[in-house]
Amino acid sequence: MNIEALVDETKAYYCLDCGVCTGSCPVARYSPGFSPRLMVEKALMGKAEDFLTDPDVWSCLTCARCTHRCPANIDYLEFARGIREEALRLGNKGSPAHSGMFQSIMEIQSSGIKQDRITWAKEAGSIADKGEYFYFVGCLPYFNVIFANFPSQPLDIGRNVIKILNKLGIEPVVSNDEKCCGHDMLWNGEVETFKKLAAANIEVIKEAGSKKVIFHCPEGYYIFKNYYTKYFGDLDFEVIHFYDFLAERLKAGELTLEKSNGVVTYQDPCRLGRLAGIYESPRDIINGVAASFVEMERNGENSVCCGTTGWMNCSTCSKEIQGNRLKESMATGADTLITACPKCNIHFSCAASFIEGIDIKIKDLTEMVVSAMNGG
Amino acid sequence: MIEMTRQLLALLGIDNERLALEWVSSAEGGRFAEVVTSFTQKIKDLGMSSLRLAA
Repeated sequence: MNIEALVDETKAYYCLDCGVCTGSCPVARYSPGFSPRLMVEKALMGKAEDFLTDPDVWSCLTCARCTHRCPANIDYLEFARGIREEALRLGNKGSPAHSGMFQSIMEIQSSGIKQDRITWAKEAGSIADKGEYFYFVGCLPYFNVIFANFPSQPLDIGRNVIKILNKLGIEPVVSNDEKCCGHDMLWNGEVETFKKLAAANIEVIKEAGSKKVIFHCPEGYYIFKNYYTKYFGDLDFEVIHFYDFLAERLKAGELTLEKSNGVVTYQDPCRLGRLAGIYESPRDIINGVAASFVEMERNGENSVCCGTTGWMNCSTCSKEIQGNRLKESMATGADTLITACPKCNIHFSCAASFIEGIDIKIKDLTEMVVSAMNGG
Repeated sequence: MIEMTRQLLALLGIDNERLALEWVSSAEGGRFAEVVTSFTQKIKDLGMSSLRLAA
């Protein structure tokens, strides 16, 4: 898409030049040269090439804090995504984190290769080949290998989701043919790879005959809900977030939980909170599993991103954001920071492992739920 | 690192026989040639990879 069309689509021409976007931007706070406002302004002045060739195109966290606060309702998030497509076309590739390993894994999955990725799920509980409910696992099996030395295993999230669903009497489909959801490829500007992955996933779900697809990962949920529909039209199945689903079941009294002692706080993932508007369900669940829940100063729609997105540009700026956020979580007096996105968990665990003075446990909400199911 | 790569390849359904790690010193020219030749032969014998077959 050219920049003029992107300005039209995102209504960037409504820019008031007020600077709320840059003032809200967690990246701009630590990298003063980075300015969403300036990028919009340059695009409006026909000087897009100034930033399209700049590595800073890839510094945006796509956390949507600016979009959320913009008084002119400019869709900055879509603007940021669109300029990446264009930047990539011009050969500006950004700096992938972990030397591009994740991007390679996503590309390989788009080739139609036959994976071997669900052994763990068979061991975790009861799963099915076909059925009403499909549990879309996402990248967890790969994360589990790459972050094997982290304190919590990423795949435990998947195991926990299966255990909880089983407890609710649901035997979800977990498919060996599921592929990367394409979220990161889309935000890396690789639209064609995204489309290949998305088309394959839609087919896999169709073959499983599933009408309800449950996501724990906020990125998968958000991308299915917004971009699968944008590129492929209405889906033949319902897209459900695990925490919405679980919160409802808890309200209906279908699951008894025992609260654990200790004080917890909660990190809203950008994709779950600002981008999907799911703030209450995780909090309802937390209140069911923790004796004491305290909010961070910046929470809900004001929550701060975990510091990097799309496995791109993990920098000293990311570490500043993470360290600052972890200190904010500690300032609540909580002993545990609850995360609801596998990536938030990974990013904070990474930062906590080497930033001095960080002393707070980092747990995924599913871990809290499973121990509460077993008696707190 | 090599163990991690093995596990990732296994998840992706790529034959682990296709990955090898050998340490060869700069003084061991003959051994280097031998390692590369035998690995190249092995890859040829294995034929097309699942990645190529999927493409």
